[in-house]
Amino acid sequence: MWLKVYNATAGRLVEMPALGPAREKSEKTMKGFSTFVNLYAAGMESNSNFQSVFMEAMRRVKEKTGSEMEGEITPEKCKDFYKIWIETYSETFKEFLKSGHFASDMGKLNSHLMDFQKYNREMLEENYLKPMNLPTKTEIDEINKELYSLKKTVKELTSQIKELKEKK
Amino acid sequence: MNGINLIEDFDKFKYGMELLLKPPEFSVGTTPSEVVFSEDKMKLIHYIPTVEKPHPVPILIVYALVNRYYILDLQPDKSVIKKLLDEGFDVYVIDWGYPSGADRYLTLDDYVNGYLNNAADKIRDLSGLDKLTLLGVCQGGTFAVMYAAQHPEKVKNLVTLVAPVDFDTDKGILNLWSKSLDVDKIVDYYGIVPGDFLNSAFLLLDPFRLMIDKYVGMFDRIECNPDDITCQLRNEDYIKNFLRMEKWIFDSPDQAGETFRQFMKDCYQKNLLIKNELMLNGKKVNLKNINMPLLNVMAEFDHLVHNDSSKPLSGAVSSTDKETLVFPTGHIGIFVGSKSQKEVCPKISAWLKPRSLINGKAEEKTGSANEERPGSAKGKSEEKTGSANEEKHESVKGKKAKTKKDESRSKVNKI
Repeated sequence: MWLKVYNATAGRLVEMPALGPAREKSEKTMKGFSTFVNLYAAGMESNSNFQSVFMEAMRRVKEKTGSEMEGEITPEKCKDFYKIWIETYSETFKEFLKSGHFASDMGKLNSHLMDFQKYNREMLEENYLKPMNLPTKTEIDEINKELYSLKKTVKELTSQIKELKEKK
Repeated sequence: MNGINLIEDFDKFKYGMELLLKPPEFSVGTTPSEVVFSEDKMKLIHYIPTVEKPHPVPILIVYALVNRYYILDLQPDKSVIKKLLDEGFDVYVIDWGYPSGADRYLTLDDYVNGYLNNAADKIRDLSGLDKLTLLGVCQGGTFAVMYAAQHPEKVKNLVTLVAPVDFDTDKGILNLWSKSLDVDKIVDYYGIVPGDFLNSAFLLLDPFRLMIDKYVGMFDRIECNPDDITCQLRNEDYIKNFLRMEKWIFDSPDQAGETFRQFMKDCYQKNLLIKNELMLNGKKVNLKNINMPLLNVMAEFDHLVHNDSSKPLSGAVSSTDKETLVFPTGHIGIFVGSKSQKEVCPKISAWLKPRSLINGKAEEKTGSANEERPGSAKGKSEEKTGSANEEKHESVKGKKAKTKKDESRSKVNKI
């Protein structure tokens, strides 16, 4: 709900095209805000679902233990309670984790998390590493790709030379 | 009485902490071995045979990329590898190593047709045989299946252990989760996918048991008797075993991004392997090319690779000599549980022995291993399906079927 309100109000301001000499930078910065908002929203939804499962697990524990846990607290009672608690929580959470609902929620959360992390890294490269003339992850990846390709070529050529030698 | 119990529990915790504070030395993968070949980070390990004349056809064990191969040699009394050596086999294992940034572009093809193929060729050189036995475990089993389909001329026998091939099942939680995963975003961001990222998913399968109850149980199993030396040794052994397992669980190599991308998308999301539509090196992986003897081993209570994911392999290949075994144990228990040494390894050995000969002779090491196919009487094709408890032996023609119940059905051995 709050996300809808946000999108209709402050979100529109954030998405507004930037103007002026620093427009590129400020647009990127504003874009990062939306990425964070999406992650926050997905995190809150996921958190709220987990809270509901915790509540349900707690309700089930209470139902199972009932009046047994009343009166003097003994070590045996503590052990019994632990057994019931771990079994109930484990089963309740497994039910939830097996649901398509959880899978879809986790998928969304993970997707927004990756967007947010990627954005942070881009900003770090743009605002700190590049101005300090330090290598960025993007540049290292380019070298790694080149290295991979070269190694593959060397392996293929070595194998061809070996075959030719064997033929001779 | 209550007070005594409380003191006992506190003592267990105290002794457990004492043992952990002076951590016992423990090691994993202690079976004597040597590295006979390496390429980039991959190492081919050869285990020193424990018998004078091993069965001629060597076994190459292919483990998954997500954890380390030494679960198969965790400790001397829980070692699949040692058991196979003692049964007279010549055993090799691929250690994939720990990929780093430079490996992010490695593809599934590099693993299967590159490293695995080169390791197999090296073994073929060393043994002087054209063929070897491939024993693939978990994701390594899937790799072994892909390899056997693309290089059937090099594989004498194929053994798969808890290996997924049909990913279109909702019975496995991992299958369900993976469908909602944006794999591209994960690989594009990480490049090398952290092992901890995958481990957190494994822990989430049963968070309360795996993150709380396991450790409570560890202290609870400590026997308190400080004056009894044998009791102290038992405690120490128990803690050592626990720490070995703990080390293995969290020893998770990072994943080469492009391999992870293709494995997740083509296998888990599109299920291309079982449809014979998976492409490796520009060629389709056709499971019908698998014509060698096949042993498909599963764990009945596998929470990571559901049986529905492994079973279809037998129907997808064109092998006539094939057998399926299901053991009442879990995904890890099949290697280190009580059934592993007593039932799983002996059954695999018994299946492999007659199929690891050349021309019916164990001594000769010359000639092609494909000249002899034990158990495949001419004109007779047979398929065996069954479990440790139930063995079904039926002809492909379906004329006769015989079911035998093993009395030794044991209780669930979950780890």
